[in-house]
Amino acid sequence: MTRHLESPRLGRRQLLKLGIGAGAAGLVPLTGLAANTVTTQARIVILGGGAAGMAMANRLAMRLSGARITVVEPRELHHYQPGWTLVAAGVWQPDRTLRANADFMPRGIDWIRQPAVGVDAELRRVSLADGSVAEYDFLVVATGLQLNYHLIDGMSPELIGRHGIGSVYASLEAATRTRDAIDTWLGQGGGQGLFTAAPTPVKCAGAPLKMAFTTLSRIKDTGRRDAFNLDYLTPGTALFSQPWINDFLKQRFDDEGIRRRHYYRLSAIDPGAKQAEFTFIGPASEFTSHHELRQEEFGREGEMTEVIDYDFIHVVPPMSAPDFIRESDLIARLGPFRGEWLDTDIHTLQHNHYPEVFGIGDVIGAPINKTAASVKAQAPVVEANLVAQLQGQALPARHNGYTSCPLITDIGKAMLVEFGYDNDMAFLPSFSFIDPKEESWAAWVLKDYLLQPAYYAMLEGRV
Amino acid sequence: MQFSLAGILAVLSHAIPPFLPLILAILALLVLAQLVGRLRGYRFTDYHCRPAAIVALLAGVSTLWWLPRLTGSQLAFVATATDWAALVAAALGVALLTWLVLHPLSYLVRGPRRH
Repeated sequence: MTRHLESPRLGRRQLLKLGIGAGAAGLVPLTGLAANTVTTQARIVILGGGAAGMAMANRLAMRLSGARITVVEPRELHHYQPGWTLVAAGVWQPDRTLRANADFMPRGIDWIRQPAVGVDAELRRVSLADGSVAEYDFLVVATGLQLNYHLIDGMSPELIGRHGIGSVYASLEAATRTRDAIDTWLGQGGGQGLFTAAPTPVKCAGAPLKMAFTTLSRIKDTGRRDAFNLDYLTPGTALFSQPWINDFLKQRFDDEGIRRRHYYRLSAIDPGAKQAEFTFIGPASEFTSHHELRQEEFGREGEMTEVIDYDFIHVVPPMSAPDFIRESDLIARLGPFRGEWLDTDIHTLQHNHYPEVFGIGDVIGAPINKTAASVKAQAPVVEANLVAQLQGQALPARHNGYTSCPLITDIGKAMLVEFGYDNDMAFLPSFSFIDPKEESWAAWVLKDYLLQPAYYAMLEGRV
Repeated sequence: MQFSLAGILAVLSHAIPPFLPLILAILALLVLAQLVGRLRGYRFTDYHCRPAAIVALLAGVSTLWWLPRLTGSQLAFVATATDWAALVAAALGVALLTWLVLHPLSYLVRGPRRH
């Protein structure tokens, strides 16, 4: 079964003609593009209805007249994932992070409620789980990423919440069970806690740090700080991409008695024995370069390992683009993101080989940028550039790598860390009255009360 | 990352609804107290009530303690100039609101006492 059979596939020349037909309204600079409706009959498929996919669906639905927009998203529920760390910390109730996808899906688009299983970039076709295909003239890849728990021997998402294992990333249920596992550990009155980091780019890179800090906060509340040992084991030398924040965090860990152990990769776990095996990957290892991950390099032969007992462990899995993207022509073939992430220009967000394809959100190969805040910055860029591409114009918009991490350093205070990958990860503060280098109650209130409304407004394409 | 006015309004359209019942209840209390008081002859320039002012002051000062706790935080984490500006503004708001409610209410309870 083929969807949109009634519409002919457009060649690049035809796409240019479509652009000519888009009218003079579109022949204006970026600021004008953002304000004017463009008429087109192009078929646009958006892979994914998460933060990035939903924002793009709304933006394009408002911007384009006559376009046939399809969103491929099997889930009925929308998860506010930035809230999961607060769920795992026991601050939020789980249902606070849930909304129906239908609340945000724009009218007039075709919502395919099943997963995509393949992309043929040459034929411009997306294969769906039921065997049908969706053809496109333009494709927006907003699939999010894949959690590769299987690359840790003995680990699976089903273990989260049992045997002292937590992992905030897997799902809302996993975040809730992580909270329960921490509760159980605190109830024991002491013991060894291990907090891990992944050897790959990860979404919400601050989440492992937040889990360490919020758990420490809860430990302090028990009045038995000395009975708990906390180790933070990370594959590289850094705790955070932004250099100033990285130094701050290292000092804070040292001050709080959280032992930093660098060059450690979680390679296996024995839930029954409550033991974790770490591979010491060494300063010369490719793993120390955050982005030089290859799946086959997870092999441990000849590498040193250390087995550590734990009472609680927070597991951060290796991450990559979903398998069906990795197996497609859209995956990076060269460079630091090869074989793992979507091959996009990190500034225009256009695919490096298929100009009708754009990437947004967690799936793209970028040194940082796997946050909802990044999506907020990327969505107007993809909108402007896709419309320009549709009109045969030069791409007018450029993404500066903006990302934001409301870094919780204690339950009740946070740092609003905003930066981009230009200028050596320089700070890009949104509010002149909030210093990204200071811990503050205001940043906590922003995280607790205002970022979720801003996120929903972003989904609607209104910010 | 900048927000336009339309963007700020869009964010507020999601931020306010959960608190709308509380906001409406407080406004209703304020309007009711003022309206009933004025119907019974209350004029805030002509009526003085020190207890109402003291309670309003205490309510404002107590805000410094309970507002951080209400947000899952604590006064010790109120650290930056922005934190203090926000907290003091909230405390002044609570004090003013309390006074605007209690002042006419005390008039209704105690009756007109001109000083």
